[in-house]
Amino acid sequence: MFAFILRRLGLLLPTFFGITLITFGLIRLIPGDPVEVMVGERTLDPQMHADAMHRLGLDKPLYLQYVDYLGNLASGNLGESLVTKESVWKEFATLFPATLELARMVMLFAAVFGLLAGVIAAIKRGSIFDHGVMGLALTGFSMPIFWWGLILIMFFSVKLGWTPVSGRLDLAFDIAPRTGFMLIDTWLAEAADPEINAGAFKDALMHLILPAIVLGTIPLAVIARMTRSSMLEVLREDYVRTARAKGLSPARVIFIHTLRNALIPVLTVMGLQVGTLMGGAVLTETIFSWPGIGKWLIDAISRRDYPVVQNGILMVATLVILVNFTVDILYGIANPRIRHAK
Amino acid sequence: MSLLQIKNLSVEFGSEKNPFRAVEGLDLTVDQGEIVGIVGESGSGKSVTMMAMMGLLEGQGRIVADKLEFDGKDLLTISARARRKIVGKDISMIFQDPMTALNPSFTVGYQIMEVLKLHQGLHGAALKQRALELMEMVEIPAAASRLAAYPHQLSGGMSQRVAIAMAIACNPKLLIADEPTTALDVTIQAQIMELLVSLQQSQNMALILITHDLAVVAEVAQRLAVMYAGQVAEMGKVPDIFRHPAHPYTEALLKSIPEHSKGAHRLSTLPGIVPGQYDRPSGCLLSPRCPYVQQRCRDERPELTPYPQGAVRCHFPLYDKESR
Amino acid sequence: MANVQASPATSAAEVALSYPSPLKEFWQGFSHNKGAVAGLIFMLAIAVSALLAPWLAPYSPIEQYRDAILTPPAWMEGGSSQFLFGTDELGRDLLSRLIHGARLSLLIGLTSVVMALVPGVILGLIAAFFPKVLGSLIMRLMDVMMALPALLLAVAIVAILGPGLVNTMIAIAIVALPAYVRLTRASAMTELNRDYVTASRVAGAGLIRLMFVCVLPNCMAPLIVHATMSFSSAILEAAALGFLGLGVQPPTPEWGTMLASARDYIERAWWVVSLPGLTILLSVLAINLMGDGLRDALDPKLKRAA
Ligand SMILES: Nc1ncnc2c1ncn2[C@@H]1O[C@H](COP(=O)(O)OP(=O)(O)OP(=O)(O)O)[C@@H](O)[C@H]1O
Ligand code: SF4
Ligand SMILES: [Mg+2]
Repeated sequence: MFAFILRRLGLLLPTFFGITLITFGLIRLIPGDPVEVMVGERTLDPQMHADAMHRLGLDKPLYLQYVDYLGNLASGNLGESLVTKESVWKEFATLFPATLELARMVMLFAAVFGLLAGVIAAIKRGSIFDHGVMGLALTGFSMPIFWWGLILIMFFSVKLGWTPVSGRLDLAFDIAPRTGFMLIDTWLAEAADPEINAGAFKDALMHLILPAIVLGTIPLAVIARMTRSSMLEVLREDYVRTARAKGLSPARVIFIHTLRNALIPVLTVMGLQVGTLMGGAVLTETIFSWPGIGKWLIDAISRRDYPVVQNGILMVATLVILVNFTVDILYGIANPRIRHAK
Repeated sequence: MSLLQIKNLSVEFGSEKNPFRAVEGLDLTVDQGEIVGIVGESGSGKSVTMMAMMGLLEGQGRIVADKLEFDGKDLLTISARARRKIVGKDISMIFQDPMTALNPSFTVGYQIMEVLKLHQGLHGAALKQRALELMEMVEIPAAASRLAAYPHQLSGGMSQRVAIAMAIACNPKLLIADEPTTALDVTIQAQIMELLVSLQQSQNMALILITHDLAVVAEVAQRLAVMYAGQVAEMGKVPDIFRHPAHPYTEALLKSIPEHSKGAHRLSTLPGIVPGQYDRPSGCLLSPRCPYVQQRCRDERPELTPYPQGAVRCHFPLYDKESR
Repeated sequence: MANVQASPATSAAEVALSYPSPLKEFWQGFSHNKGAVAGLIFMLAIAVSALLAPWLAPYSPIEQYRDAILTPPAWMEGGSSQFLFGTDELGRDLLSRLIHGARLSLLIGLTSVVMALVPGVILGLIAAFFPKVLGSLIMRLMDVMMALPALLLAVAIVAILGPGLVNTMIAIAIVALPAYVRLTRASAMTELNRDYVTASRVAGAGLIRLMFVCVLPNCMAPLIVHATMSFSSAILEAAALGFLGLGVQPPTPEWGTMLASARDYIERAWWVVSLPGLTILLSVLAINLMGDGLRDALDPKLKRAA
């Protein structure tokens, strides 16, 4: 198992360096004056310009600049925002919990309902339920989620007034961020001070529901489809027949002998959904003004805040490969054939 | 009384409008402790018959029969729950391809102990002890360490031994071996056959041996059923059938023995193939291929008719020289 | 061979030998799937309106009727038969904009599929034929590209290149590239192990011939299916970019761009919000339905499962 993890790590590093190459190149590909791009300074004086070039190391050969960049990354220096002058890392760290909270809710929602729908559809193959679920799943898979968000807002927030339109919490509440997860923070706050903070938890939950549904639609659809087809494939396997020939109960045949094996490809797909999720977060957070890293990146792009764009993308990509790495390891645990492979 | 009695069993696949009869009017009895061989070309319905009997076709095939009785229990009317108390315990089955018959995600030990836990309620040390015993019974070397092995770490022969261990775990009264050696190397085939027969004797269980290999049947089985296109063509004692086959199809099978080799599932002595869904003749199912075919064969389907040495489904059985 | 006797009619064998032609078989498989046929019909309709947009659309997509701002659709109270689907915040006819938008979406979809497919297939074949150095280099690069979330990568590319129609297509094509490379490489690797390839090699077929004449045609089925699916995701991504203000710029009637400006009217004019999105959803759904049908009809292994 240890050797297996090491092998995976060996694959991870080149990918990470590849990404640093891309983010490094990103900034240099932007048309325009490099000093202006890097620090937002507009200098007409050639002497000052040259000074800035030197200060930023931009007069060095490209490969040395890349080495500098890696050195900065290694020492935890991700640069600072041109707009807020805050360190990029600090901004990322403040905003990330919001995205993580959303993403967790979404994965929970998508995994539970997707697996359930997929398994039942596979067992009741050809039934009305099966057709219905698969029709809905394809619709969800085809959904322009930014529009889906608008429609839900139009219906639930504007028309029915059930859910708030934007943000994570009503401004009337003043909750100290302890964990960064609003559901937990509000719950703690309510427990500590029920007088002032009554209803904070519910408010946080109401804020979370629509964004979670919007962002969860595609992963839910993908997981349901994948689970169904994977289940159908495994149900045809000889070893499922063996399991039934042992006299095992249908529940045991399905949940132990079939689902266990059917989960392997589903797990991979779930891992891949994390990438989709980060892309979707950009749209969802924009629509719901959710103060997470998706909205942060889009804002940075529209403000031409390039250090944030550069290293924000690096952070997100690193996150995605780390998640995929974890999924790979889980995959190995779930599938002994892979674990033991050389 | 016979251990297993099947009368007039039919299994249909496909839609109601467009059915395909994989098994048609099949009769078969098996007595306690005997070995019955079933032979027939690929697609003749051998596996489907057995799976129907064990209730493994749920949701796939429609099953009708006059009688389907095992050990005095009516398998036709029995509830699914009650059937699961018998299947895997008193009747068990081993399949053709051992490499795909074991679940790749669980250790060998887990899969053997699963049956023991379910049917015999064993647990703890006794459970482990019994699993080990079984592994030794099927002659798996280094049994203790193999319990923790995953199926992909075993060879085909070893996997089949594990499957056998799983099947005999609860001392079944009837073991069905569906081409247990077809997927194995020739050298291993004999070992597995030997193991099966010795277990059959030591456990005194009945054994249904489905095979393409008539030589094996001749060696080990007491009785033989020859299947063709979902029907029993001929049934009788092994020595009688081998000496005087009554059905033209059996005769052709026997003639093909010397040429019979692994993987040759078609008969070189009879041209053509087993009829499929769309080309079942209305008369005798063998009539398009039969060397003795007459007009009556094309018009009228023969019944399985008893005669002193057994039963045969042919208008012009070979012992009856006058009629042709 | 101890042949007993030549038997008369071996009808069984003859029946089995009369296979339908591949095209007919394909169509049978495809038309069996009702959803796929519905998707095909819908997409044909969209394609026709895209082609004939200037003649089909009642008005110019950018002409503003200042005295008819935010007119509801014709069947609503206050609607007018003049503007079937109503007008937007600048008094432009929504139906005309949607019809013209179909042109853009199809154009972006087609172009970006071709721009990803051609280099993707070539790179994939190279990776399959030279698996050692060149192949692993290409595949590592693709890994890196796959590690970046698709939409984020597209956003980053547009952020560098600047917004606009051409840059949108380029960004979407780049994002789609790795999947084509992987798919082509995987199917080509399988084919390379087959005997017919060895036979052609022995017969002295050149590399280019082996790649494009021998191997490629046998990898087409999954590629066609994937191209269909990536066509639909191209439409979605283009619309998302447009929605974020990074894609095709107003007043061009791109479906996603239309939604971006419609956001402010969510409380007053549901049609401005609903109709462009519905059009996107239906088009993407139709293409995906077709894709499912194609896969069932083209892939014999999955055909059984359906
Ligand atoms: N689940 C099923 N659905 C539809 N048809 C089936 C199914 N299972 C088996 N059949 C068909 O029933 C017929 C008999 O199959 P069966 O597996 O019993 O043959 P067999 O005698 O065991 O052959 P083999 O020697 O190849 O194992 C075949 O034509 C097969 O295609
Ligand atoms: S009934 Fe006729 S066709 Fe059938 S096996 Fe007998 S002789 Fe041959
Ligand atoms: Mg069989």
